Order: sequence, then structure tokens, then C-alpha cells
Amino acid sequence: MKTIIITGATSGIGLAIATTLAMDGYRVIGIGHSEQSCRKAEQLVHASDPTGECLFKAADLMQQREVHRIADELEPYIVQTCGGKVHALINNVGGVRSWYATTEEGYEQQFALNHLAGFLLTSRLLPYVLAARGRVVMTSSNSHKGVSIHWDDIMLERSYNPLLAYKQSKLCNLLFTKELNSRYGSLGLRAYAVDPGLVQTDIGNKQTGSMVSLIWSIRKRFGVAPSIPAQTYRYLCTQQEYPSGFYYYGCKEQSYSHQVTDDNARRLFALSERLCAITYGDVS
Amino acid sequence: MNVLITGASGGLGRALTIECARRGYHLFLTDINKTGLESLRNGVERQFPVVVATMACDLTDDTDVDRLLAHLDTYGIQFDMLLNVAGLDFEGGFLEQSRKNVLTIVSLNICATLRITHAILSRRAIGKSFSLVFVSSLASQYPIPLKATYAASKRFLLDFAYALGEELKNRHVHVLAVCPGGLVTTRDAMDGIKAQGIWGDMTTNRIEVVTRNTIDRALAGKLVYIPGIANRILSLFGHLLPRTFITMVLYKRWTRSQGKWLDIGA
Repeated sequence: MKTIIITGATSGIGLAIATTLAMDGYRVIGIGHSEQSCRKAEQLVHASDPTGECLFKAADLMQQREVHRIADELEPYIVQTCGGKVHALINNVGGVRSWYATTEEGYEQQFALNHLAGFLLTSRLLPYVLAARGRVVMTSSNSHKGVSIHWDDIMLERSYNPLLAYKQSKLCNLLFTKELNSRYGSLGLRAYAVDPGLVQTDIGNKQTGSMVSLIWSIRKRFGVAPSIPAQTYRYLCTQQEYPSGFYYYGCKEQSYSHQVTDDNARRLFALSERLCAITYGDVS
Repeated sequence: MNVLITGASGGLGRALTIECARRGYHLFLTDINKTGLESLRNGVERQFPVVVATMACDLTDDTDVDRLLAHLDTYGIQFDMLLNVAGLDFEGGFLEQSRKNVLTIVSLNICATLRITHAILSRRAIGKSFSLVFVSSLASQYPIPLKATYAASKRFLLDFAYALGEELKNRHVHVLAVCPGGLVTTRDAMDGIKAQGIWGDMTTNRIEVVTRNTIDRALAGKLVYIPGIANRILSLFGHLLPRTFITMVLYKRWTRSQGKWLDIGA
């Protein structure tokens, strides 16, 4: 049985991916924000595939301490139960904030949750993904277009704009994807970024102000059900042959922003290593 | 520039820490939350070329503060700025809170602030300008039913800042009281602001703007900083209207939003 790890797996797109892949016969490990939402999601996924195996764990992934804790907890399970292999890691967790707010490290929350959390978790689980010649999939967005990385103030503390912070974090997802392919493609790893499109999730209603929440409540009515984008993740994770390219919408390769260059990708990777106090080269 | 920040690992403390680090100030951070302090020191050191020292301390405990001071004296650290951020509030009316909680508000917001302020002022670099900042609150502008203890404790800091500023103005000490409205510091704070609806959006201040202006104003020797036009207007009402009328209006407003806040939190 192949193992898939999904973050942000207790609601919205993440939950839809978990259900879909569980029905396909994968062992699903889901990470969610609260113990309560994890138990609920576990029941739902189990109900859709009573014979399968699934495990849900709670962690506040915007805090690096929590990413390390969850990786420490998962490692023995992966080694003992999953044969030391992770077929796919889906860094799906993400959030929107109406205001500048920081994590314990003093990092801006959208940047920390939408980008750094996936960056750090991937580094911790990389040996197991490489062992499976597996895949890493990021939930990005088409809204990554039209912005560039603010290198001199990447947390946007000097000129905070919630939407800009969101868009920049989604551009980070693509840059990270690109650099993962450059570094580990020759070792059999493939990384992809998905644009889920406009989806009916609660992303804009969690930890936002009443204005943002109201606007999102109206906007999401025009979105599709989370099961629609879940098919793209399924496609990327389950094709025998590696799908070509690395940016997808609706199971099809898409064009991405011209900001997604090797230079920017390397620069973001180095900066992220510094902000997480890790070195990716450590794995072998 | 050496800066000591209390309550550094809370939301406002973190933002002020980042603001000071960005300006190149060297930092001594304290908070009761040791893990949070370590995370914050890591985050700052990975981003800015400044010296960051930390020590966990319960400012309401005299012995613990003595330990902190002994540590500072071992290294002979002198300060140019003190940011008194540490403070707290508990939700609920006076009788709905435990006696212990009510006294903790006073013990931290007032007593602990005086304790550390007295100690650090005695350790300021002599002959140099010193900036002393008290984080008061918009709640200091009027008596607030259901937040009676908190509002009064913040009023204490505001009045104290005015008086101390006058007392020390010929001794190179500039005193600033900051009176922010809502700040998005925790998940609870976000829920609380949402529960207030449009009021919440209006009185909420952008934390990164408040921190930048706070340091600017402290350096410029200003006395009071009330962030945001909406809050300045609300403060003006506080001065113009009878206090009995204000308490009546505020009681209604807080009864409503505390109910909603408890709903969202549940």
C-alpha cells in the first residue's frame, strides 16, 4: 500500500484529496489544525474507504516547532508501517490573513504557513519521498501571476497588503517546486504545483476580518466543489509515467509567471533554508 | 542602541522586536513564555544582524525580577530604551472572573510595569537620551464596564506616563504612552475583532504601522500616541461626553460582542 501525506487535510481541497486517494487504495496520512477536525476527517475518510488505512494528526504548521514535532512523530510510523517510503507529499495547507500577524519566530503568517511550512516539512520527509522516487505537490494558485518577490522585505512588514502577501506566497510555491525539480529530479523525485482555481472552501473565512470574510463568502459561491481540483492532485500522484512540466490546472499543464526563474528559485531556496535553519544538502 | 522589551513573545511584543531589529537595535527580550522567546530569538537572528539576548521572567514575581537584574548587572548592560509591553486581560465581568484573575491584571499591568521600569531607569546610560514606552490602550480613554479592571489599569499607565514624563524631562528621559485599539495578536484576538463586526474592522489598528510609529514617536519625544483616526475620534468623545453616559453605551456594546465572541470561540 502506497502512502500519501497531505497537509491541511481536514477541510476543503485537502479533505477532498484525502477521500479521493483513500478510495483509490492509498494509505492517507492527513495533518490538520485541531484534534477535533482531525477526528472528524478521519471518520469521513474511513467511511469512504472502510478497508483502507488512514491516520490524522493535529499540528499548527505555521510554527516551525510544530513542523518538527509532527515530523518527529511521523518518522517512526513511516519507517515501521509504510516501509520507509512516502509516495507523495502534498503541501496543501494555506491560509489568508486580513492583517499583518506573526508566528512565534516573528515571521509573517501567510509566508510562514503557505510557504515555509511546506519547505520545512518537505526537507524533513525528503529521504522517504526519495526512497519511493515519489512526488511533492504544492497547492499554488494562478494568483501568483502579476507579482514579484519583495526581496528586501519578504515578510512585507513595511508595506503590508493581505492580497499581495497571499499572491507572493503562491509564487513562492512555484519557485520551490522548480528548485526541487532542479535539485532532486535526477534522483527520481518530481515536484508539481497546482492551481485549484476558485473553490468553495472556507479559506477566506478563517482568521480574517469581517470585510474579507464577507467578500470571500460571496466570491466562493462562484467556485467549484473541492472534489474538482482533487482530480488534478490525483492525476499528478497516480500516473505511472511522470506528467511533464510542473504547473497544473484541471489535469493540464499551464503556463506560469515569468518571475519563475532559476535565479529566483535558487535565491528563495537559500533564504528559506536560512529562515528555517536547515540545509537541504544534509539528506543523502 | 540597547532596547529591553517585556512581553516580547506576545503578538505586539514580536512585532516591536522585529521593528527594532530592522532598525539595527540590540535587544534584550523577556517574557514569561520561554519557548516563545527562543523561537523569536531564532527568527530575529536569522533575519537581522543584531545581538539578541533573552531571559524568561515572571515580572509579577520580585525574586524572578531580581534574578533578571542580577543577570543584566553581571554583563553591565545599560539601556537606551524600554518598551513595557507585558500586560493581560481576562474576558468576563468583574464577578464572573475569579478573584485571582482580577488581581493578576493589576499585578502585571501595573505593579510589574512599575517594578521593571524603576529597575531599568536606574540602569540607563547616564547623559544619554532614554526612551520609555508604556503600552496603554484605547481602553484607557474611558471607564469600560465588563473590562473595568483592565481599562482602569491602562488608565493608570496613561496618567503615570504623563506625570513621569514631566518629572524626568530634564533628565534626558522621554516618556510615551501608546493607546492602540484592537490589534491582531492572537487567534482569539482575530475572533474577538470579527465578533465586533464593522466596529472591529474600524477600531483595529495595523500592528506593523503601530510598531513603526511607536518607535518613531518615542524617538521624537512625543507624549501620547493614539493610532488611527477612528480611535482618535472615539477618544475625543471620551473627553466630551459625561462618563455616566459613556459607561452606559459601552456596557451595551460589550454585552453584545462578548456574547458573540464566546459563540465564535466555542
